[in-house]
Amino acid sequence: MNGMPAKIHTGVPGLDKMLHGGLVPARPYILSGPPGAGKTIMSVQFLREGLEGGERCLYVALEEPPNELKLNMRPFRWNLDDMEVLDANSDVRRFEPTPILEISTEEEPARMRDLDDRIRKTPDFESREVTVHSLQQLLKNLFVKRQYQRVVIDSVTALKYFCMREFEESLTTQSFMRFLTEAKVTSLLTVELPEEGEAPPEAFLARGEIRLHKFRDDTGIRRFISVEKYKGSSHDDVVYPFDITATGAVVQSGPSKGVAASL
Amino acid sequence: MERVKTGVDGLDAMLNGGLLPARPYIVSGPTGSGKSILATQFLFDGLKRNEPCLLVTLDEPPIEVKSNMGVFGWNLDHLKILDATPDVRAHKRQRSVIDVGTALDVRDMEDVSDIRQSSQIRALEVTVHSVQKMIKQEFSGRLEKTKERYKRIVIDSMTALKMFSMQGEDSRILIQSFMRFLSELESTTLIVSEHLDRSAIETEFFLGRGEIRMLKWVDGSTVRRAISIEKFRGSRFDDHVRPLAITPAGIVVYADQQVATTNGGGMKPGESLLEMRIIDDISNVLESALHKVEEAQRRQIPVRDLEVSLSRAMLHFQRKNYQKAMKAALACNSQLEQRLGVVPPPPAASVPPPPKEVAR
Repeated sequence: MNGMPAKIHTGVPGLDKMLHGGLVPARPYILSGPPGAGKTIMSVQFLREGLEGGERCLYVALEEPPNELKLNMRPFRWNLDDMEVLDANSDVRRFEPTPILEISTEEEPARMRDLDDRIRKTPDFESREVTVHSLQQLLKNLFVKRQYQRVVIDSVTALKYFCMREFEESLTTQSFMRFLTEAKVTSLLTVELPEEGEAPPEAFLARGEIRLHKFRDDTGIRRFISVEKYKGSSHDDVVYPFDITATGAVVQSGPSKGVAASL
Repeated sequence: MERVKTGVDGLDAMLNGGLLPARPYIVSGPTGSGKSILATQFLFDGLKRNEPCLLVTLDEPPIEVKSNMGVFGWNLDHLKILDATPDVRAHKRQRSVIDVGTALDVRDMEDVSDIRQSSQIRALEVTVHSVQKMIKQEFSGRLEKTKERYKRIVIDSMTALKMFSMQGEDSRILIQSFMRFLSELESTTLIVSEHLDRSAIETEFFLGRGEIRMLKWVDGSTVRRAISIEKFRGSRFDDHVRPLAITPAGIVVYADQQVATTNGGGMKPGESLLEMRIIDDISNVLESALHKVEEAQRRQIPVRDLEVSLSRAMLHFQRKNYQKAMKAALACNSQLEQRLGVVPPPPAASVPPPPKEVAR
């Protein structure tokens, strides 16, 4: 492990232990899971950890309007005032021939504390569209201007579904990840998994994948977490249970928690 | 924050008080599970609070909605209904096909009396675009006239909209745009949709801020119903499956009761008989492997690696990957037996002998 930079903390209690210390910085990682597993909560926790250490953090919102994110995170009482949020949600499409603006490369992220309480409305005469190319250009400009240490892309699934054409999906996703690697930020990309069946291909492109699992039994919803892949580091193989508590996601990675707690 | 009541007390209790306002939610479930009733009950609750409510019907003509909901004795007179059911297709080509959007048809429920007859000269065709246009016209028209916004909207159903009006287009982007449109209206919206293939990610489920799932299965000779919350952004919720009944007064959710599953194994209701037997078999193997792990830990025999493969087997099991689960569980079990030094007992009749090769 010579020459390997010090690992950074994920901000999720118990997860760093599974990752044998945390994440190797300046690389992209995947956080995958079915709907309602807790991906967004965990990724915001990752940024919050950075904020606490005085790092500059960016959240790219692709599936949820920023005003809702702000409300949704309020119950956890985290100080997210300085977290920067980039609204990359596309507008309502126009069916009439009106000018379509690609998301401007001059667009600025807003600080969490300055976010509007209501949703941004599609203007009457133009419609904003987010494509993967424009987003990439925009991020490139931003990364030159400011040194972000941590970036969250929520979610790659939305990027894939709404911001690129179907035939170019895997190639474009790959190049987007390559772009994030070259930008030398530690990034966490969320991926939506179907409730049943196999994982989509983008899950295999990153340096590491943390996967969330969600099941039902008589006691309600049970959540589990596993490290599927982690290049350049050893990690824990066991699948551990985790809970979403009043203070965020907490992984129970105690010594005998693995299998015994799974039934 | 203030919550929007669904009109079903038990469901509101599960939702920790109700839905968060101004967001779109999904109501899913198989046919006959009570989705439309729940959605209508949600609108009725709004009407009781004097809130303007809009039902966009794509499945059933308004007259059928009226008579179907009549049995519950709800006063829906002031419910606005937007009739977006497509006409009988005119098969002769010279007849012009026009979008529904240009023939706005929003009525009070009390004025609904007969099915709209397809016009002789033009046939209405429903597209996402036209539905969006109709809702927008109605929304801004109402805002202008009465200075009131629609507080509650129901789209019944998205399945119909997808099936009939998105052929040959990029449906993901169309749905994304439609969901964005609904979000910008800032009404609390219920979207009725069926999730047919759980191994695919359906756009509206992915973008909805929550999913209320309705379940229906046959238990012996009775039909049973239940309800669960699968996702609810920004709020705590009750994560149990709760029993549900359709009564003469509408839907009732028993938020303090458990669903009695037939096999007691904590599996999802509605499994077929064969599947249940496989499930039983695998759980037996898993259980015996677990006991052996405990035993090994007590005797301080290192079995960490097997614990890992066992947890993988359980994941396969939970994901309904029964073949992989069985294989992994059996492999684990036999390995554990070796380490514990016990003589393998003769295999049970329903369980094939453990394979010699160890997967993973």
